[in-house]
Amino acid sequence: MSGTGSRSGICSRRPDLFSVFGRYGIPFRLGESGITVETRAEGQFTLYERVAPSGRVERRLGFSGGTITINPVEPVNLPQEVTNTIEFHFTPIAIEPLSEVTVFLTFPVEIGVFSGSEGSYTLIDVFSLAKPKYSLYGTPEKGVITRHVETGVSHEPPPVDPLQEGILALAIRNTGKDWVWVSRAVFESPSLRIFYGPHAAMSAEMMVYSRILGETWVTRTPPREGMEEAIRIFPTKKSLVPEKPSYLMEYGVGD
Amino acid sequence: MVFESLSIPVIGTVTLFDLLVFAIAVFVVYIISRIVAIYLKKAFSDRVDPVELDKLVKVIQAAIIIVGVYAALPRFDINIADMVVVGGTIGLVAAFAGQRIVSNFGSGLFIIAERPMKPGDNVTIGEVSGTVDQIRVLSTIIKTYEGVYVRVPNEKVFTSEITNYVANVARRFEYSIGISYRSDAETAIRIIRSLLEDHPFVLAHPAPSVFVDSLAESAVIIRVFIWAPSRVWWSVRTEMLWTIKKALEEAGIEIPYPQRVVTIAPGARIEVSHAHGGGDIR
Repeated sequence: MSGTGSRSGICSRRPDLFSVFGRYGIPFRLGESGITVETRAEGQFTLYERVAPSGRVERRLGFSGGTITINPVEPVNLPQEVTNTIEFHFTPIAIEPLSEVTVFLTFPVEIGVFSGSEGSYTLIDVFSLAKPKYSLYGTPEKGVITRHVETGVSHEPPPVDPLQEGILALAIRNTGKDWVWVSRAVFESPSLRIFYGPHAAMSAEMMVYSRILGETWVTRTPPREGMEEAIRIFPTKKSLVPEKPSYLMEYGVGD
Repeated sequence: MVFESLSIPVIGTVTLFDLLVFAIAVFVVYIISRIVAIYLKKAFSDRVDPVELDKLVKVIQAAIIIVGVYAALPRFDINIADMVVVGGTIGLVAAFAGQRIVSNFGSGLFIIAERPMKPGDNVTIGEVSGTVDQIRVLSTIIKTYEGVYVRVPNEKVFTSEITNYVANVARRFEYSIGISYRSDAETAIRIIRSLLEDHPFVLAHPAPSVFVDSLAESAVIIRVFIWAPSRVWWSVRTEMLWTIKKALEEAGIEIPYPQRVVTIAPGARIEVSHAHGGGDIR
């Protein structure tokens, strides 16, 4: 896919990273799979322009130099933010008591465009080629709205279109005394740590206490050596709400 | 002369000078609370939800003023224990004098504790519908959908039926769509289901439901039940209805006007007379 794209400008992208993701010096222009991102200096300003199947966005930035970072972000922003929770729904897996299994799921990629430098970034744009869908985990009274991800289950990393999908390696451990059918995993977006290389990826763990109760968390280490950690949208909001390290699934781990 | 007059007792042992110092102290404390409020708003406006920030600022302002007034009170040489007794008596008298106010105050406390709504929620209280702007101790401020300011006394809020449209994270709405008897209901249902699957905010779970509900006089009625996030349900509702209408029409499925099929018995005669001499049909 990277062979079909075009680019110009200064780019600090490593060659093993997927072609769209990376850090770019202004001005630059890149085109990939129907997506065009361009920045050009106009006096004291920088004009940012993005064209994707979902539409065209133009922004005027109050600086004329520096870098722009493009990387996968927490997939809960489109078409508008209504939740910070993501729910993976997959083919049920029977887990033996006191056993662990690692499965590979896919998640939708939303692409974030940031300006700024270490520790102080701002989000300029977010877009995606993946089709968003939302769902409800729990009851309307006490549950949560979730970004719904319908995914297959693989025993090894599945092939993905890097612009649309990333890979989640999920280690599921059944700590209970009964067999449990697991078909859901729910995470809060502030805890997500997405890494990117040839594609976007995350590693997570899930502790199953019973068919009703489970706990999930995302690990902070790259799933594969050499992957870069993506800039997250959550810290740019500078929220005082603390990041919870794990999510307690109180409404069941199966259908 | 001026200084002498300041030292004249005006209430008990409290002098004019004491009153002046107390007034200045309260004014300074008020100014400090305002400065702190502005600083807090500047520092946290992009980090904290505006409603929560507003509450936080008010609590801190109140705390500063209470501490400031308390610190200035010794100027009066007032015994706090006496003040509590006097305050209690005054409170009792005030309660009798202003039962409505006390009732509103009590109701306000219950509403704040029970939390049937919060600022920003879309509600109907009695006959008033709109968005909750503020929940105060004595009254609740509603901004109607027309942008009108309505102050509802808390006593009325407490005794009225409150419908909160966004208290739950998701809510259901429905359409009744009539298609003609000549159209294929199964095709119509398939088209509607496909549109619902495509819309991001038509929730996957609980899944939407589409079915033939009744065979009415002029149309086959298809009912559509949709769950959507409460925050966006209205835009989904308005958007989907028109999308469904257009898609059905594009597929050649007729949404009929009310109509009646009249069958004329063989050999029957119909006579139509035109008022302006247009002739007869027999």
